[in-house]
Amino acid sequence: MTDKADNIEVKKINRSYGYRSDRFPVVSVLLLAMIAVGCIFCGIFSNHDPFYMNLDSVNVAPNSTFWFGTDTLGRDIYSMILNGGRISLFIGITASAISAVIALVYGSLSAVAPEWVDEIMMRFTEILLSVPSILLIIFVQAVAGSDNVISIAVVIGFTSWMSMAKIVRTEVRQIRSEEYVIAARAMGGSFFHNLRWHYIPNSLPSILFMIIMNVRGAIVAEATLSFVGLGLPIEIISWGSMLSLAEKAVMSNSWWIVFIPGIFLIVTIVCITEISNFLVQKTK
Amino acid sequence: MNKARKKSILRKMIIYIISIFVLSVIVFGMAKLSPGDPLVSYYGDRAERMNDEERAHAYERLGLNEPVYVQYALWIRNALQGDFGISFKYKKPVQDIVIARVGNTLLLGGIGFFLIFTLALMLAMFCVLHEGRVIDRIICRVGTITSCIPEFWLALVLIMIFAVNLKILPASGAYDIGQSDNVISRMSHMILPLIVVVTGHLWYYSYMLRNRLLEETVKDYVLLYEASGLSRRQIVFRHCVRNIMPTYISIMAISISHIVAGTYIVEMVFSYPGIGTLAFESARYHDYNMLMYICIITGAVVIFGNIAGQAVSEMIDPRMREQVKVVEQDD
Amino acid sequence: MSIHMGENILEVNNLSHSFHRSGKDNIRAVNDVSFNIKYNEIFGLAGESGSGKSTVARCIMNIIRPSTGRIMYDGINITDKKEIKSHKKKLQCERQIIFQDSTSSLNRHMKVADIIAEPLRINNIFGSGKEERHYVIEMLEEAGLNESYADRKPYELSGGERQRVAIARAFGMKPKLLIADEPFASLDAGIQMQMVELFLHLKNEHDCAILFIAHDLLMIRFLCDKVAVMNDGKIVECGNTAEIFNAPSHPYTKKLIDAIPIPEVAEK
Repeated sequence: MTDKADNIEVKKINRSYGYRSDRFPVVSVLLLAMIAVGCIFCGIFSNHDPFYMNLDSVNVAPNSTFWFGTDTLGRDIYSMILNGGRISLFIGITASAISAVIALVYGSLSAVAPEWVDEIMMRFTEILLSVPSILLIIFVQAVAGSDNVISIAVVIGFTSWMSMAKIVRTEVRQIRSEEYVIAARAMGGSFFHNLRWHYIPNSLPSILFMIIMNVRGAIVAEATLSFVGLGLPIEIISWGSMLSLAEKAVMSNSWWIVFIPGIFLIVTIVCITEISNFLVQKTK
Repeated sequence: MNKARKKSILRKMIIYIISIFVLSVIVFGMAKLSPGDPLVSYYGDRAERMNDEERAHAYERLGLNEPVYVQYALWIRNALQGDFGISFKYKKPVQDIVIARVGNTLLLGGIGFFLIFTLALMLAMFCVLHEGRVIDRIICRVGTITSCIPEFWLALVLIMIFAVNLKILPASGAYDIGQSDNVISRMSHMILPLIVVVTGHLWYYSYMLRNRLLEETVKDYVLLYEASGLSRRQIVFRHCVRNIMPTYISIMAISISHIVAGTYIVEMVFSYPGIGTLAFESARYHDYNMLMYICIITGAVVIFGNIAGQAVSEMIDPRMREQVKVVEQDD
Repeated sequence: MSIHMGENILEVNNLSHSFHRSGKDNIRAVNDVSFNIKYNEIFGLAGESGSGKSTVARCIMNIIRPSTGRIMYDGINITDKKEIKSHKKKLQCERQIIFQDSTSSLNRHMKVADIIAEPLRINNIFGSGKEERHYVIEMLEEAGLNESYADRKPYELSGGERQRVAIARAFGMKPKLLIADEPFASLDAGIQMQMVELFLHLKNEHDCAILFIAHDLLMIRFLCDKVAVMNDGKIVECGNTAEIFNAPSHPYTKKLIDAIPIPEVAEK
């Protein structure tokens, strides 16, 4: 197929994607910004102490004092959501940043290494990818054994870089034969020089959407981990650890404990997905 | 061609064996990093009642005094003979526990996989035939949102609605007590988990297939058929779908890992007695032998699926064979 | 100042290079090429595209390893890995290259100032950012640009301006040997003449030898002291520019000279 034919096809396809519009996802960005601001400045917005277990009002349905009700330990869910969101977003961003750094370094190294090293390095990522992500995370989490915010972010970051590294490698393989890289090498530029000035700036745009999707993945992973009791303990409030109480709440039919944190989680994830979809569209 | 295919299959088998070997090294290395008494992970509580002499003997027998690579060699030798160690929690060989439950997981995952890919293709075709219309847009919107719902949360909501409030479906397990052979009991236990597995993944793959089909419908041969009087529906059903088969199979192959992950989480929430539940329990009890075994067999299945998928799509479409490497050349 | 080991800065002896192609015969890009470049000399290497000129340039820059042959740079055998290693710093600083296509030889994500400073930073020439910035602007001005260009990105510049940036980057290192691989080929004729003047000016200021590679002989006639003509990986003719232009002995050289657009030559 010639380039020209390709171009024509791309045009045709773009025209026919009714849904995949190039419009900037205004609603998603606004919603996400609102949630983020609310979480970061949770001190201002929350109306109760999220950690205070009020034994007089356990499992209270939403009312004028407790806007979103209280959980099975008597904590105010509204204040907890703002407070916990901060942890969830922090874990999402930190884990994604860690995975991006690993992916950039690993992918670039693989791309500039001799062919057989490259082959081995890529096989290694394939093998790691063959273990389902959640299984890999719980294994590493079981080995790491600690349950604080940082360690969970690190565990998730260290188990979610592989598919990004594959894309970085493909990008850098193209970049490494560009003349500016050849020139830099002739000047004596080391691998890390090229990484800093050439590989990262040029491959970052094509993994930006994945970095954002990894924020989403990390938030869900933390929530799942905490829900099954392998992540954060109940005392550290995150959207996941809040939902770990939901299993009990289901039996007592306290819908608000299940629904309200869940809705916040889902809205955040949908917003992140929309933004990421927009970026995919833009990079194409 | 036959010779080439034999060679390609042989190559794939070698890659498969090496991959599993490397996976075992990674998994073993990770388990070695874990803190705590290594004897506990092998003998369980018994390790705590051992006297010094017994401990020394056990260390000797398990080769724990040896360097790590010798330990690995011992472990892999036992593993090749089918001995993956004793489960810390169940006090039985790990493979016995897993084999007793693997059927449940295969049933749930297999039906889920089948449903996802049948429905995904149907949904993709439906969207393509109604491309750009309101119904297509609605499906796309709803689809994006459903794919954003965490599996465990959807499972909780379904339990609350169907098991707690309406009381029409069971909330946990794989069958009613003592009724493991009762098909209806098994099916009713599987409905909710299946709904969660399918909703969690359906849209992701439908969307991929939809876009791939749309690419297909703008190709020249479609115009040709249109000119000869075939309806769009006929063209899509008869020709476009056939042409995206290699992609369909590749997507299936890549999806295995994700669908397995989804199944494991769903099993956990529904306390479904499968490998997923076992994995989460093992992680909680730091049952490393069990975790190692689960990681290796899951990895083995996924890698096999990937390689098989690759082989099948190569068979259907020879263009997907390894591309000729182009050597850079300047001047 | 380095001690002059004889009068040649570069000696290329029996250089050959083949590219490997899987499943096919190897391509001989360069076949038994020998020539010398004196200190402060501008040496022209002419030939049509595909004649192996760029491969020679890349061998001299150690970008590719030649299949056989020996290249001596200032008394250092740069076809020998050990010798390259022990003189790494000197080689990195003294040899500079300018590529033909300024769109791909400048990273579009870097500012002009960073591009010019890149070799300076790699070789730790300046201690402080302020000194470096000052020097970069000086180089920009020498290359006929000004300070306002420092914080722009390559895609905001015209082709000629980009090539000036590449020239500033190369001359910023005060090279002893500059390899210019068809530096003006993608520029308009008018701008080409400005660049030739810039080149001559910079060369006189900085005292360096230049290996000037071009596919048309017009530029070479203006710039070079000596010229070698390459065809199919071999040097078919080599000598002083004036002699070769007056009395070309090889038919290929004649063909190239005939291809020079005459009106423009007459104009100047």
